[in-house]
Amino acid sequence: MHSPELLKGTLQTIVLKVLKDHGKMYGYEITQRVKELSADRILLTEGALYPTLHKLEAEGLLKTEIVNIGKRMRKYYTLTAPGKVEAKERVTEFMDFIKTMGNVLNVQMTS
Amino acid sequence: MQLNAEHIAYIIKDLHYRGIVAEGIQDELVDHVCSATENRMQQGHRFIDAYHDVLKSFGYTQGLRKAQFETLHAENHKTKIMFKNYLTIAVRNLRKNSFYSFINILGLSVGVAVCMIIVFFVIHELSYDSHHKNADQIYRIKSEIIFGGNHYNMTYAPAPIAETLPLEIPEVEAAVHFRERGSYLVKRETENIKEKNVIWAGKDFFKIFTVPMLEGNPEKSLEEPNTMAISKRTAEKFFPGESALGQTLILDNRWNFKITGVYEDMPATSHFHFDIILSMEGLSEAKSPSWLSNNFQTYILLHPDADPKAVEDKLMKLVMDHIAPQIAQVFGDDFTIDKFKESGNKIEYTLQPLSDIHLKSDLFGEFEPNFNMAYVYLFSAVALFILAIACINFMNLSTARSANRAKEVGVRKVMGSYRSHLVRQFLSESILLSFLSFIIAIGIAYFLLPVFNDLAGRQLSIPFGSISFYLFVIGAAIVTGLLAGVYPSFFLSAFKPVNVLKGNVSLGMKSGFIRSSLVVFQFFISIILIISTLAVFNQLNFIQTKKIGFNKDQVIIVEDADVLGNNRIAYKNEILKNSMIVSGTFSGFLPVSGTWRTDNPWWAEGKNPAQSENLVSIQNWAVDSDYLKTLGMSIKDGRDFSEAFPSDSSAVILNETAVKNFSFDGSPIGKKILTFQGDEQGFDPDKTESLTVIGVVENFHFESLKENVGAVMLFLSKQPQGYLSFRFQSQDTKAVIDLLESKWKEMAPDQPFTYTFLNERFGNMYANEVRLGKIFGIFAAFAIIIACLGLFALTAFTAEQRTKEIGIRKVLGASVTSIVVLLSKEFGKLVLIAFILASPVAWWAVNKWLEDYQYKITLGWTLFAVAGLAAFVIALLTMSFQSIKAAVSNPVNSLRSE
Repeated sequence: MHSPELLKGTLQTIVLKVLKDHGKMYGYEITQRVKELSADRILLTEGALYPTLHKLEAEGLLKTEIVNIGKRMRKYYTLTAPGKVEAKERVTEFMDFIKTMGNVLNVQMTS
Repeated sequence: MQLNAEHIAYIIKDLHYRGIVAEGIQDELVDHVCSATENRMQQGHRFIDAYHDVLKSFGYTQGLRKAQFETLHAENHKTKIMFKNYLTIAVRNLRKNSFYSFINILGLSVGVAVCMIIVFFVIHELSYDSHHKNADQIYRIKSEIIFGGNHYNMTYAPAPIAETLPLEIPEVEAAVHFRERGSYLVKRETENIKEKNVIWAGKDFFKIFTVPMLEGNPEKSLEEPNTMAISKRTAEKFFPGESALGQTLILDNRWNFKITGVYEDMPATSHFHFDIILSMEGLSEAKSPSWLSNNFQTYILLHPDADPKAVEDKLMKLVMDHIAPQIAQVFGDDFTIDKFKESGNKIEYTLQPLSDIHLKSDLFGEFEPNFNMAYVYLFSAVALFILAIACINFMNLSTARSANRAKEVGVRKVMGSYRSHLVRQFLSESILLSFLSFIIAIGIAYFLLPVFNDLAGRQLSIPFGSISFYLFVIGAAIVTGLLAGVYPSFFLSAFKPVNVLKGNVSLGMKSGFIRSSLVVFQFFISIILIISTLAVFNQLNFIQTKKIGFNKDQVIIVEDADVLGNNRIAYKNEILKNSMIVSGTFSGFLPVSGTWRTDNPWWAEGKNPAQSENLVSIQNWAVDSDYLKTLGMSIKDGRDFSEAFPSDSSAVILNETAVKNFSFDGSPIGKKILTFQGDEQGFDPDKTESLTVIGVVENFHFESLKENVGAVMLFLSKQPQGYLSFRFQSQDTKAVIDLLESKWKEMAPDQPFTYTFLNERFGNMYANEVRLGKIFGIFAAFAIIIACLGLFALTAFTAEQRTKEIGIRKVLGASVTSIVVLLSKEFGKLVLIAFILASPVAWWAVNKWLEDYQYKITLGWTLFAVAGLAAFVIALLTMSFQSIKAAVSNPVNSLRSE
């Protein structure tokens, strides 16, 4: 399992990217999907997921839809148009970051 | 596997019990927990185990709440939203308490407006002469001379100094000297216009000072004799619509000057405003080799790296080398500089930076009256004090009303508000208030500025076009809001919710040592200002009514009487025929400043002039035989000049000071006084002239009352010049003016007729004091108005707080008077304390100001009593409105409401 410290900065990117790939999702589904994709190596804690979702919603990157499923409500999240743009940008930015980190760490390893 | 309805209901209830209640997150977490539980149950767990597993993964109640809290935080923790919230609540609060808000805003905006005007003024005063490119390299030569019992601090230096300095001191790059010769009559063809701002200046004027030349070559403009440069407005006046360059103007009907330059009008923030600059090349006086007569204002431009102190030393040495032989020539060969100094004399030349002139210089021979640095400080202090008084109102009202807001604070805290939230809430309220006040203040300042300009003799305007002004206003509004709000916000936010909600904290009038001290401070400042104002006006009144040794009323002065030429006597006689006119006299020397002065050393016959202590430096005034009569001076001893004595052409009348300084043996009448004969090239030690004393005139003040009466001698001149003064006896001054003017038009056509009244000119000597008095009066009024506004609101508030108490007292039989006294007593006490504190400070400050005057009022207790009483009565009136209202209200109403 990856350390939560490492995940901290990437949470928004993960959420955006997952939503971009899978369309409409609700909170629990997102945690499960990430778990699946990472082969159980990334576990999103609820304590971090919901603040992130609400924050992205407040920023207008996500829109929500509430569906009544029997006895309870379910809130689905989808990307808005700016959300899609943002998702793409965040992923590119993260790839750049990985590259940079790779260089930095390589340099340090070879030195 | 699906959860059944019971399970779901259980989960909803349990989560609610654990504190997951926030709208928006509750449903979501329920769904999440349900989904996760279902997932586990699918793996074969029992519902209750699966549920606890899920709770565990959340971190139980703590974890759940944390998730809830962070979600809410993420949603709401946006400064924009918080700020909007603060603002909404602030606006609501202000509206709810519109009475207090109104008083707060009014007080603050008046305070800020006054403050703003003063800041404009101070900035204006500080910016004098900063427009010169080389401002920090320009110095003026200042001379200090003690000789023959006189002490001069002058702007004047000897004529040759300007030419010598750049040659002999390498650090001096250029020097320019000026010579004032009063006003000139200027004409193009026939009609004369009187020009006041005329100066003779050396050719390097445009090199040293930054005065942009519009037409002509600045380097060559003043090189030739009989050439001149004129300002743009003068050019437009004489040559409307055409180029002035190369044209000719005639000065005093005699001299033709060719215009070689037209320059931009000099800015208001310059310590001189010349409209016509005449080339010094044409002035023979400027070529005088004498180092003994000081007549030229001299400015030098130093090299950027030069050390002014070193230059000063070189200057001193240089001057001494030139002066010593010339003094020795006068006093005989045994003269040495050391001996000269030993007998208490002094000649010293120093450098005065250009930037110091407007605020720090008050020398004899300034081009224009300067301002005083002390007043700049004084005004700044007053501005700050007024602002402080206004801020204090805000602080006092906010804390006083804290009782009403204590519950609000308590509830907010219980709902989870942090102290920092409350502080921010209160601060945003005060900043909002301060912004409103600043906007209103700009409006008030806009309407007040013309009044102030009129008083202070300046042309200030609000710089609406400058961005830095807005930035400054915004910055100042925030700072003022913070200053005014910081105390109330920390005070209010410190309440403990338990105490407040139980009703324990009743912060009415009784509490608040700080509040009381703030009220004391407000009145302390107000009372100081009132006392100072009264003192200034008292001193002014003293000056106006003091026996000054002549009668300043009902004397009209016709200026430039010389242009009448040969008609002078005829004109005077013609006027005297009218019964309104009592007498008339020709003389440029009048007992008000701004008229002619000439100073020469004389000695009493029989004493040795080579001993400098025998020399009396004395004003030599050329008059005619009607002088004393016309000006209303009285003879103390001997007689007045009379046409019956032809020998009076060599007679002299001394004033009392002069008699004392000459120290005659016995009666002065009949004694002779002597002086060296002189001309423009200096004195000739071999020739003397003498006059016989025939009378002694009572001392009269001929300069401001700041000065002692100096020695004066009056002698008859065959052809006195300058002003023609008439004493008239009529209430109808208009008729007098008409008479003078119609005759003038007949005898001196094309010459401008200008007149002044002696008492007007006398009054002008104290224009600064009058200004100071008025400005102070206005400030004092504002200070006390603002302080009273606060007091008014505070009493209103106390009365409100104590409605019930008053009701009960009235039911028990208290009279209206006793209740008014009860309500006013507390603040009355504070005003009294303020008075006791303010009196010594004011006494010290006023005495400091009066030190400048040789003749002054003594500060009696009545002045303080009047000021104290005034403050007390004003405060009492302010309070009585509210307290009487409270006292006469029907107790039934106040007791019934619960």
